[in-house]
Amino acid sequence: MNPYPRPMGKLIGELSKLPGIGPKTARRLSFYILGQNKNEVKSLADALLEAKEKINYCKICNHLTEAEKCSFCQSESRDQTQICVVESPRDVVAMEKTGEYNGLYHVLHGAISPMDGIGPDQIKLRNLMPRLENGAVEEIIVATDPNAEGDATALYLARLIKPLGVKVTRIAHGIPVGGDLEYADEVTLSKALEGRREL
Amino acid sequence: MFLERVLCRNFRNFDEIIIDLNKNLNIFLGQNGQGKTNFLEAIYLMATTNSHRSSISSELIKWEEEESLVQLLLKRREGKMKLAMRLDNSGRKIEINDNQLSKVSELLGYLNAVLFSPEDLKLVKEGPAHRREFIDLEISQVSRYYGHLLNKYDHILKQRNNLLKSIRENRNNTSQEMLSVWDQQLATIGSKIILKRLEVIDKLKILARLSQRKITAGREELEIEYEISLNNFSKNLGEAELRNLFLDNLVSKRDQEIKRGYTVIGPHRDDLILKVNEMDLRKYGSQGQQRTAALALKLAELEFMKSETGEYPVLLLDDVFSELDNLRRKALLNVIADKIQTIITATDGENLTGIKNNSYNIYQVEKGKIKRVS
Repeated sequence: MNPYPRPMGKLIGELSKLPGIGPKTARRLSFYILGQNKNEVKSLADALLEAKEKINYCKICNHLTEAEKCSFCQSESRDQTQICVVESPRDVVAMEKTGEYNGLYHVLHGAISPMDGIGPDQIKLRNLMPRLENGAVEEIIVATDPNAEGDATALYLARLIKPLGVKVTRIAHGIPVGGDLEYADEVTLSKALEGRREL
Repeated sequence: MFLERVLCRNFRNFDEIIIDLNKNLNIFLGQNGQGKTNFLEAIYLMATTNSHRSSISSELIKWEEEESLVQLLLKRREGKMKLAMRLDNSGRKIEINDNQLSKVSELLGYLNAVLFSPEDLKLVKEGPAHRREFIDLEISQVSRYYGHLLNKYDHILKQRNNLLKSIRENRNNTSQEMLSVWDQQLATIGSKIILKRLEVIDKLKILARLSQRKITAGREELEIEYEISLNNFSKNLGEAELRNLFLDNLVSKRDQEIKRGYTVIGPHRDDLILKVNEMDLRKYGSQGQQRTAALALKLAELEFMKSETGEYPVLLLDDVFSELDNLRRKALLNVIADKIQTIITATDGENLTGIKNNSYNIYQVEKGKIKRVS
């Protein structure tokens, strides 16, 4: 016999579809939501719907926005000569946390991966090229993930953009800051050694 | 290095066994299916983090048990240490000197072991994949970075082959231009792999030639060469030059690769050439010659590991004595005598009469129980 009334089973089912939520957590969340008063639940449901309805992608850089253009593309205080290319909106958040970057972004929503049938036309690359036409942009910083797909995307971008006379750079990978060299694993250390710089 | 004690609990067909080992020679006798190879498997698992027989953790756990444990007391030059692996259906956990480590791969490099099984005798005769696996496994045990390169190369290769297929079938307008992006990655990682293999083979071929001479009393000269799938290759190329050569080769094979839908050159297509007195053993060697060369390669592997790590590894001989003739058995025993801890399994003691080591232990294996008999 099913221990839950049908609507509760449905709630648990929906919650457990979310990333990082297993059946146990889904049950806990469902019981918690049922214990809340109706206003609280309504405000959660509204927040879910509102986020989905009102947030779309920036026309220029594909980052999340409520308006036509995202806050980065609207801002005049951002450095208009640099564009940082990332795979997902989450990466924008990560870059912003550094506080060190003040340029613009371009979000690809994916990386090139032939195994998954994803080529240059399946990621949001097409609207990057027009951004380079007016000559204001001097440097493209490619910050895709340091794996085969991220590297392929970076190399493809370099091939596409370099002929336009725009500098293309790739972020460095290696030893975490504040870490001891002796605790870095061999793979990371070898990678860092390859990417060494002259002082 | 040598193992002082091995404990297995709920591992394969063992309830609990605790075995104190001789630092020289250990012989495990028993009928088939009693647990001899399971014992070697437990040790090999601790050296490589993987079983040589199964990639499924749950198969290593005794039927109807939740967790299995393998624990070793290892004596290295630097001192004694305790290594443990716990396996359950959520995966495997590693402890070194009772401290739990976060990554299974951190176990690598403590215990080095060389396994020699009847399969290895086919090393010379079988296809190139076996010989590539031999060289790759050997390098991986002494260089974790090499293991990482192999994984990465494999991944890039799969992506590139997928792209080649979709170009062939003209799926969603894939352009040939995309290929050059994967070419660059394939060539970068591939060149590193080739250079590392060349470096190791240079050391290995000298060691293997010496072993072959010992086994054949100087009658056979074994030569090993790396057979590369790239055209216009010459020795002493630097990494950047080799990478460029790789790229040129890829361009010249472009049409052929698209037609076939896979990558036709690179380290995944290379091989080892094994010659005795100028004759290609892979094709023309007699079975005896092929076995001798396989044995010479394995013995060279022991010496190679010693030169890389400073200590001899533990040698695991799984049922190979019955497959070797007197001459080769003697040669093998001479090499291991009193300097390499060796664990031998056999169905009976008959083939082991040539053993003259100063000290050895004999164990009887029966239905998952092991007891020392002398």
